[in-house]
Amino acid sequence: MEAVHASLHSGTAPQSPLSAAPLEVLGVSKSYVGSQAVVPVIGDISLTLNRGEIVSVVGPSGCGKTTLLNVLCGLIPPDTGTVRWHGAAISGQPANVGYMLQKDLLFQWRTALSNVMLGLEIRRVSAVQAEDRARAMLDQLGLHGFADAYPSTLSGGMRQRVALARTLVNDPEVLLLDEPFAALDFQTKLVIESDTVNLVRDSGRSALLITHDIEEAVSVSDRVIVLSKRPTRVKKTYAIDLGVERADMIAARESPRFVDYVRQIWADLDVARQ
Amino acid sequence: MMHETPQKMTGEDRLAAELRKTRARTLRMAAAVTAAQLLLLVAGLALWQWATSASSQAAFMFGSPSAIGGHLAQMFRDGSVWRDSYVTGIETVLGFVVGNVIGTALGLALWYSRFISRVMQPFIIAIGSIPIIALAPIVIIWFGTGLASKIAMSTLSVVVVALVTSYKGATGVDDDQINLMRTLGASKFQIFRKLVVPASLTDIFAGLKLTVGFALIGAIVGEFMSSSEGLGHAIFKAGSLYIIPKVFAELVATIALALILTFIVGRVERLLTPWRRAG
Repeated sequence: MEAVHASLHSGTAPQSPLSAAPLEVLGVSKSYVGSQAVVPVIGDISLTLNRGEIVSVVGPSGCGKTTLLNVLCGLIPPDTGTVRWHGAAISGQPANVGYMLQKDLLFQWRTALSNVMLGLEIRRVSAVQAEDRARAMLDQLGLHGFADAYPSTLSGGMRQRVALARTLVNDPEVLLLDEPFAALDFQTKLVIESDTVNLVRDSGRSALLITHDIEEAVSVSDRVIVLSKRPTRVKKTYAIDLGVERADMIAARESPRFVDYVRQIWADLDVARQ
Repeated sequence: MMHETPQKMTGEDRLAAELRKTRARTLRMAAAVTAAQLLLLVAGLALWQWATSASSQAAFMFGSPSAIGGHLAQMFRDGSVWRDSYVTGIETVLGFVVGNVIGTALGLALWYSRFISRVMQPFIIAIGSIPIIALAPIVIIWFGTGLASKIAMSTLSVVVVALVTSYKGATGVDDDQINLMRTLGASKFQIFRKLVVPASLTDIFAGLKLTVGFALIGAIVGEFMSSSEGLGHAIFKAGSLYIIPKVFAELVATIALALILTFIVGRVERLLTPWRRAG
């Protein structure tokens, strides 16, 4: 009886049991059709993001990291392979996924608060509830008192915090981050990196971070996936164990193993020979 | 933390002093610009007056500031300046509103379909290149000689510009922001309403400011063709009677009307785009 019930459940529900990894990429490839020829961008990528994990993807410049992210978000379809969210292949945009880029993409005509409310408005959450949740999120990210400020009056770091709040207020299970810290100055970057890592880890979320910054990848991630040049494949995967508290960016960077990882990954990227 | 306070204070004081100095410099600059503008205006008028006072023929052909002033005073005394400005103002405002509403709606709607916008492109360019004055005879046949034909002329002068500027605004929206909306689960209509329309406001208002002048031209050309009142009517009549200072006096009233309407559009823009004043 129990077994029948379970199989019935998994047969009808769009999502598989909770045991499935939040994100699985299986044999994805993608080419662009140019005017002269077909340009292969992604050769063959498979990767898994487990629950509660932060995984970074690094690769040589122009290796199609952003294309990969757009495939994961369902913004462009892959040529081959599948993207499974919680074990289910879906078409279009996955639910419960937050997306953050280097550009904060804040709407200049909206205040910080109403920028954060954007996703809730789209899902037609009641205005009162949306505002409460957005305010709480801003407070949590240290933006208390800036709710009514327009983006043009905020610093780069604060704007990226608002963008982070806009992402997290929707309570995503998975964050897809495309170099979200790249435009920030070093100190601001470390602070926002640790805030992000804390917010991900505390709530059992997962994050896939696409970056060209090897030090950032090693300091925040559980695993680092190194991609090859185009057509992109997974070249190597590192499980990062720095032996320190993972939310402490300074301690992570001071760990003796940190330098070794960075050096190895740097060698894998093969920058000198390009 | 405490020991930092006095040093910070002096730093802030220095900053405040610097700010005061910068403000004073800005004010001096603005005052100098205004003074130079007034000087240029007075010098120009004086030169005009002097040059036309030499011969009565020159005064007849080119008018003179004093004669223009006399006509303006007369227009205020008999109230014709108010009546004509009101008539032309109504025609302009209605043409401006109708033209911009239609043009902006079409321009934004073209964002919805890349296919339709590409199909329409040559037609829009073709229609946009028609000199509006060439349509005046047809407009009078279709809309008569009353208010409707002036509004139609004014609307026609505005509509294509409004369409092009709003379409440019709509297609200039950052693709990454569109992708963001999509990942947040927005429908195409939500993307349109919450992103495309507000993001286009800057371009739309640039178009509005531009089309104030076009709407006025349309209304005045309409009055030239056939009318019994309005600034264009007064200009045409004075010109036909060779009362050249009166033509200039009516032109002064027209310029004043254009400035007032532009000022109002600027005020509305400030009201509707508060974020552009921030920062």
